[in-house]
Amino acid sequence: MTMTVSRRQALAAAAGAAALPLVHIRTAGAAGKLAVGFWDHWVPVGNVVMKKLVDAWAAKNKVEVTIDFITTVGNKLQLTYAAESQARTGHDALAFVLWDVRNYQSSLAPVDDVVEPLIKQYGQINPVIEYLSKIDGHWSAIPSSSGTQYKPACARLSFFKQAGFDPEVVYPAKPVHTTESDGWTWQKMLELAPKAKQAGLPFGLGLGQTTDSVDFVGALFRSFGAELVNAKGDITVDSDEVKAAIEYMARLVPHLPSDIYSYDDASNNRALISGKSALIFNPPSAWAVAVRDNRPVGADCWTFPNPSGPKGRFVPSLPFFWGIWKFAKNQSAAKELLGWLCEREQVETLCNAVSGYDIPPFLSMADFEIWAKVEPPLGTVYNYPIRPWHNSVPSIAGYPAPPEIAVQMYNRATLTTMIGKLTQAGQSMKQVIAWAKDELEGFSR
Amino acid sequence: MRRWLSRRSTVAFLMCLPLIVLIGGLVIYPACYAIWLAMLNKHMTRFVGFSNFAFLLRRDTFRLVVFQSCLFAVSAVMAKALIGFVLAHLLHAIPGGRQRVWRGLLLVPWVVPLALSTLGWWWLFDPSYSAFNWLLARVGIAPVPWLGATGWARFCMILVNTWYGAPFFMIMYLAALKSVPEQLFEAASIDGAGFWAKLRFVTLPMMRNIISITVLFSLIVTFADFTIIRILTNGGPRDTTHIFATYAFEVGIASGDIPLGASVSLFMLPILAFASIFILRGVARRDRDMAAA
Amino acid sequence: MSTAATAPSALPAHPRRVSSLARQRRWALWTSYGALSVFVVMFLVPPFYMLVTSLKTSAEISEQRVSPWIVGHPTLANFIDLITNANYESFFLNSVKVTLCVVVISMTISVFAAFALARMRFFGSSLLATGIFLTYLVPDSLLFIPFFRIIGELGLINNTWALVLIYPTFAVPFCTWIMIGYFSSIPKELDEAALIDGASWMQILFLVFIPVAMPGIIAATIFAFTVSWGQFLYPLAYLYSSDQMVLTVGIVSDLIRGDTFAWGKIMAGSLMAAAPPVVIYAFLMDYYIAGLTAGATKG
Repeated sequence: MTMTVSRRQALAAAAGAAALPLVHIRTAGAAGKLAVGFWDHWVPVGNVVMKKLVDAWAAKNKVEVTIDFITTVGNKLQLTYAAESQARTGHDALAFVLWDVRNYQSSLAPVDDVVEPLIKQYGQINPVIEYLSKIDGHWSAIPSSSGTQYKPACARLSFFKQAGFDPEVVYPAKPVHTTESDGWTWQKMLELAPKAKQAGLPFGLGLGQTTDSVDFVGALFRSFGAELVNAKGDITVDSDEVKAAIEYMARLVPHLPSDIYSYDDASNNRALISGKSALIFNPPSAWAVAVRDNRPVGADCWTFPNPSGPKGRFVPSLPFFWGIWKFAKNQSAAKELLGWLCEREQVETLCNAVSGYDIPPFLSMADFEIWAKVEPPLGTVYNYPIRPWHNSVPSIAGYPAPPEIAVQMYNRATLTTMIGKLTQAGQSMKQVIAWAKDELEGFSR
Repeated sequence: MRRWLSRRSTVAFLMCLPLIVLIGGLVIYPACYAIWLAMLNKHMTRFVGFSNFAFLLRRDTFRLVVFQSCLFAVSAVMAKALIGFVLAHLLHAIPGGRQRVWRGLLLVPWVVPLALSTLGWWWLFDPSYSAFNWLLARVGIAPVPWLGATGWARFCMILVNTWYGAPFFMIMYLAALKSVPEQLFEAASIDGAGFWAKLRFVTLPMMRNIISITVLFSLIVTFADFTIIRILTNGGPRDTTHIFATYAFEVGIASGDIPLGASVSLFMLPILAFASIFILRGVARRDRDMAAA
Repeated sequence: MSTAATAPSALPAHPRRVSSLARQRRWALWTSYGALSVFVVMFLVPPFYMLVTSLKTSAEISEQRVSPWIVGHPTLANFIDLITNANYESFFLNSVKVTLCVVVISMTISVFAAFALARMRFFGSSLLATGIFLTYLVPDSLLFIPFFRIIGELGLINNTWALVLIYPTFAVPFCTWIMIGYFSSIPKELDEAALIDGASWMQILFLVFIPVAMPGIIAATIFAFTVSWGQFLYPLAYLYSSDQMVLTVGIVSDLIRGDTFAWGKIMAGSLMAAAPPVVIYAFLMDYYIAGLTAGATKG
């Protein structure tokens, strides 16, 4: 860190006073006090390790850091940044999730001087992260690995093997691209779904209004090339691709459990852990709890990317960020600390602590050893991060619509509601499209 | 000065002062602030007048929310009032000592913190682990999507609210029943009145005020309920169980449009005010009649 | 009328009517017990299920091999884990602290205001008496947003004292209303007698009204206690550190991590959180009823 600072100082001196703040210069204000609110990781050890790292940094840099771990259960974290932005007091930096960087962008301090050097050093950043936090050319938050996750498929090997599709062979725990993986399409999934239902293990794919449901449908839509709103902001819901995606879901839903419409983020976990489902789209939290509570099921799980559609393979991504308030008293120290936490060494330490649940923001960091080591079964989460040979792209529901519209589509669960209207409420495709158009027009106001 | 201080009206005013300060500072001021907030745009930079309210009235989802809130409040309050009334009568018929035990048992739903008992209910309705579905499976009935189908989800939220609120009605009505003089019932019996006649001509008139007040109080509180819906269904499936408070939270906090969330909440005020004025006027009229008689 | 018609032959008919009346009463009593039992079962199903779940281990809950209504291998581990957990202890203590303070503050404000409104007149007093009820029209789901600003400016975010400040907003109106009803029912002769004896208003309040109105005061206190103990939205909005949280949000935040639920512990925690109100109700129930009897019906 010290070496890069002095290089940066030289650069800054050379560039002169008129340079944009593309580099962070360590000022005297980096001492003093700092209050940070991190996300309360569901793996308790993650918080312990985070605290250790931060305390070590604090001791070295002579900054007094107070940490709070704030949960997202009950929208606690969202309430906290709503409260602090209203009260204009509180922590110096807080964890932010998903779209909230945009929602609170006017209160967040720009952090180009932290993020740009990181990109220079580590290469491409997850495009979803850029979409969510780079606003008008400036970064409004620092990407965090703590909490950032993908939601690929997590499936029961015993069922899939006897159905003729062996995830361990198709997505092995090796840096190899198999030809069978090209055959892992939504069509293939549609073939396997009725078999799963017959075996008493229907796929636990929720159509509720929480992120798990919205995310997988978003990835599906994107793989069909279906956009409700295009990048320019035009409402393109009345298109063949959207209809194709909805029709696909209409054919899939009869093979799914009847209560998927009430699924929240934990329902698919429970479906897997109870041994009642052969496949869910979820980060490894479900597998981890299954290993603890229902080991035969847990040792039978394998994680691998989502199926592909006509326009590609997309894996839902749920990023977390660290945002520094404009009214924070010690922005300098916050930038230092959070930038340091984004370095590979710290990211790997944190990731190892949570058994690989956290996904690093930089695609080049998808090669940590932890994912090969976690078991049972060995290699179960090897294919959890997006590996270069997966030909997958991280995605988020609503992309590529302008984020102000996409955030509402995401939070109001427009995608899953559309499908529910067709499959549960029995409306016609025309009615569904008309309803969606009306909703989207409302979002565009 | 001392005379002013010892004057009756001054002492009275000073005694009421904490109440006035509490209501003025922590209810009226925030309510006005909320009204002002509801008239700002999403990023809270511009004043937009009533545009938030007009926008809401045009949305299908919001109209659904209005309908659902009224459905939820009215059905739940009617169910609670009925059950509370029946229970109060049943309890009243039992001798004192035993009555205490039964009363205690029946009060449990009211006494357990609502957020926590709702979690228990939610667990009973869970798609994968529902104990109710397990019982149904034993008698060969297919599992019910308790919180997954619109009709069932609405039924469940009314059920949980009724379960929670019926003891309150029971206690209020029991207290009111106890205060009806026995002689009235005896006189009615002597006149040959049967059970239903006694109910119509003695019980209900004597209890009308307390019934009105309890119903009004419960209507207001049920209409503004947040905890039950939030934990059970969070508005799902597809917004068919959203009521004002949960929709306001969803739109305001979860989607980051605080002014719109405030506007949704404010819609409750006129509806509740209308109901209150209507019911309170009836109570006041009866009080005047009784005082004049 | 029947009585007149049977009067002449009252003597021989009398024993028959008495026994049929007794039989009728007994039959009515047993039907009451029957109906009540049905209701009790329905009311107690969820708490019973919570109890059963709290005695199971995580593994047993996930397994679903036997009936979810019985416990295969009962264990007190959930309860013990919680009691020895430092977080849970602080949640409990915070709840107690907040509730006690709020009850004291609310009762003080209510008793004084109710006394003034029931007994003394001043400009706008009758308006205030009906007006306090209307404060319930402003729901907590609306108030919690402006409260962010107010609490923030007072520097009380993430502090249990913020709760002590705002809880009275929903306890005081109802308590005041009950107390007004109760105080109004106290005969005016009592305070006239005291006034003649030269007592001041404060003395009348403390020496005459409060002792006589004790059941009503207890009823209002119990109500304030129950609603403060069970509040969820306000602590959810304003508290985020474990050392400041109260029981209701503490249980939810600590035991629900990400998308994993520790159901056994959640149920155990919920039952323990329900214990103090249940105990208080068990002992003070009679006062609650008596308090509501006079206060509510005359209100």
